[in-house]
Amino acid sequence: MNGLLQGCILALVGLGFSLVWGILNIVNLAHAALIMIAAYLTYFLWSLVGLDPFVSLPLSMAVLFGIGYVLQRCVINLVMGASILTTFLLTFGIEALFVNLFLRWFSADTRQTKPIYANVSLNLGPLYLPYTQLGAVIVALVLTYLLYVFLDRTRTGSSIRAVGQDRIAARLMGINIAQTYALTFGIGAALAAASGTLLSATSGFAPNAFSAFNVLAFSVVVLGGLGSIPGVLLGGLVFGLVYEFSGTYVLAQRDVVIFAILILVLVLRPTGLLGREGYR
Amino acid sequence: MAHLVRFSTLLAVLAIAACSAPSAAPTSVAKPTTAATAASTAAFNGNFDGTLVFGAPVSLTGSTAKEGGLTRDGYDLWRDTYNANGGININGKHYKIETKYYDDASDAQQSATLTDKLINEDKVNFLLGPYGTAPTLQDSTVAEKNKMPMIEGNGAAESIFSQGYKYTFGVLAPAQNYLRGVIDLVVTLDPKPQSVAVLSADDPFSVEVADAVRTYAEQKGMQVVYYQKYPNASTDLRAPLTEAKAKNPDLLLNSGHLQESLAIMQQSKELGFNPKGFGFSVGPGTPDFQTTLQNDANYVLGGTQWTPSLKYNGDDLFKTPENYNTLFKQKFGYEPAYQSADGTAAGVAFVKAIESAGSTDPAKVRDAIAALNFTSFYGVIKFDSRGINVDKPMAVEQWQSGRRVTVWPADVAEAKALWPFPGFGSH
Repeated sequence: MNGLLQGCILALVGLGFSLVWGILNIVNLAHAALIMIAAYLTYFLWSLVGLDPFVSLPLSMAVLFGIGYVLQRCVINLVMGASILTTFLLTFGIEALFVNLFLRWFSADTRQTKPIYANVSLNLGPLYLPYTQLGAVIVALVLTYLLYVFLDRTRTGSSIRAVGQDRIAARLMGINIAQTYALTFGIGAALAAASGTLLSATSGFAPNAFSAFNVLAFSVVVLGGLGSIPGVLLGGLVFGLVYEFSGTYVLAQRDVVIFAILILVLVLRPTGLLGREGYR
Repeated sequence: MAHLVRFSTLLAVLAIAACSAPSAAPTSVAKPTTAATAASTAAFNGNFDGTLVFGAPVSLTGSTAKEGGLTRDGYDLWRDTYNANGGININGKHYKIETKYYDDASDAQQSATLTDKLINEDKVNFLLGPYGTAPTLQDSTVAEKNKMPMIEGNGAAESIFSQGYKYTFGVLAPAQNYLRGVIDLVVTLDPKPQSVAVLSADDPFSVEVADAVRTYAEQKGMQVVYYQKYPNASTDLRAPLTEAKAKNPDLLLNSGHLQESLAIMQQSKELGFNPKGFGFSVGPGTPDFQTTLQNDANYVLGGTQWTPSLKYNGDDLFKTPENYNTLFKQKFGYEPAYQSADGTAAGVAFVKAIESAGSTDPAKVRDAIAALNFTSFYGVIKFDSRGINVDKPMAVEQWQSGRRVTVWPADVAEAKALWPFPGFGSH
């Protein structure tokens, strides 16, 4: 059960990453830095102003949307269409820049957003369900659903998908490519912000505690399948379950199990579990 | 115009990047210290006759950034305190201490490369250690190859000293002693714990600590009902905690790192896991443990190399742990953690050895280090043939009402240990 709760948060971590990769064709190595910024924002809103993380969630999503939009428009857009190595290098550089700036500003001290219900559980017989995680699962599912609906049903969503499928054709149809890219990156950043907000309330963090989420997001997306929102959710849940059950048998080799599964899926089904062309 | 805007944004980003690059240059500012001895200042007229450079790769970024920073602060306090009192006195000549640091990004390979650079490019006189067992292990090989004496204070695994090397010395108590004090303490308490669960990070040092305490607990008549290794730096430990809970142990011991100790406390609370006591090799000794966990830090036991309340009367400038505590807080504005004291002690040992060798010749200094036998603010410093400070005991601390107090060894304890843990939410 804990694996499923954890899996939903992992899915949320992977969601924004998947969107940016699917549409912009950028493996965004700065994703973890965006999560980190949101975690700090949440922490300070809570410790200085007293805002509950679930209340400040929309706010940090909005702020990160802005940061993401500007970052794409002014920096990442310069290398759109360049080789994958160039985008790797740039996003990795942005990641290192932000992490080290935060280390300098806020030191490596461990912090945690700690509302009164932090690390307290709902006890149902043998089950212990932490309230923060339960809330996080609801947020993750709602955001996943909203993203799906947004891409599937709205005009802007359609144009984002169109750009992801064929950007030249999309441009011929009168879609503003640069703006769509920035918008997509902004949404990706806002989704990263949601996971950062939730993570800041579930465990202690420091600026360098987030880099593992890049690898996790990458693995969740590859496992679930690029270009598929339900795939990200499935990938996250598989990860969560593997985490929980490997604990019983081969805990120290947990990563071996996860990456063995990942390799197996890639061999048998190179597009991932639910991967497909385009993005939906 | 749009291009211009983009270009200037990029420039701004690059400029910020350049400004935030950590400076590797020595930053020695000698501050006069009031609490230092008057005797050693008498002969010193304020002019140094030379400089000795001590190099160290320390982790200022990466997974052990926090601990690396604490180590560096310990070195800085040593340098500034000694410089304010005439530096190192070699046959009546005063040598100023300089330090040169590089950030090894918590990466052992990087640490070894930087050690090589410190020795062969920067031509430092001596080496202080990095933070952590893995980098220390790598650096010791480079030091040995270059016949460069290294005294380190933050790598405790015996594997560092079982290589037959002659140039590496560690001032801290060896790994096998890390959690021994916790066992020694709990068997004196009422109700006496009968069973223990041990969780360990899967790295050489943590496993060494965990294996040693597992054997020791059995020797002391306790039953080890659960033993599990988990991947280093895990933040989700709910699975092993659920299993440990099912075995209903009286004591949960963890050998690992700060982040894992936080995860264990938080997730034990989530899972309603309430043993009679929690003990950690690393975690409770860091102020972050309390600031992050707040009330949930209370009752937790931690093994520690050093605490400010220990009662040593040392033959060095700092003399007592209490005085060290005062000087440290004056300089940095926070309470010293043992990682800093470890670093300072390594420096103090160097001064003693160089002064007794009467020379800066690496081979002579190396022999003088091997012959050291003195008590410092940090406790006894006396190395065995492998370079381990074997006689150094570990203390045990406990968080009580938001304060960290020494509860073991009994003869230097500030307060009695609170026992048993009343359960999360009931204190």
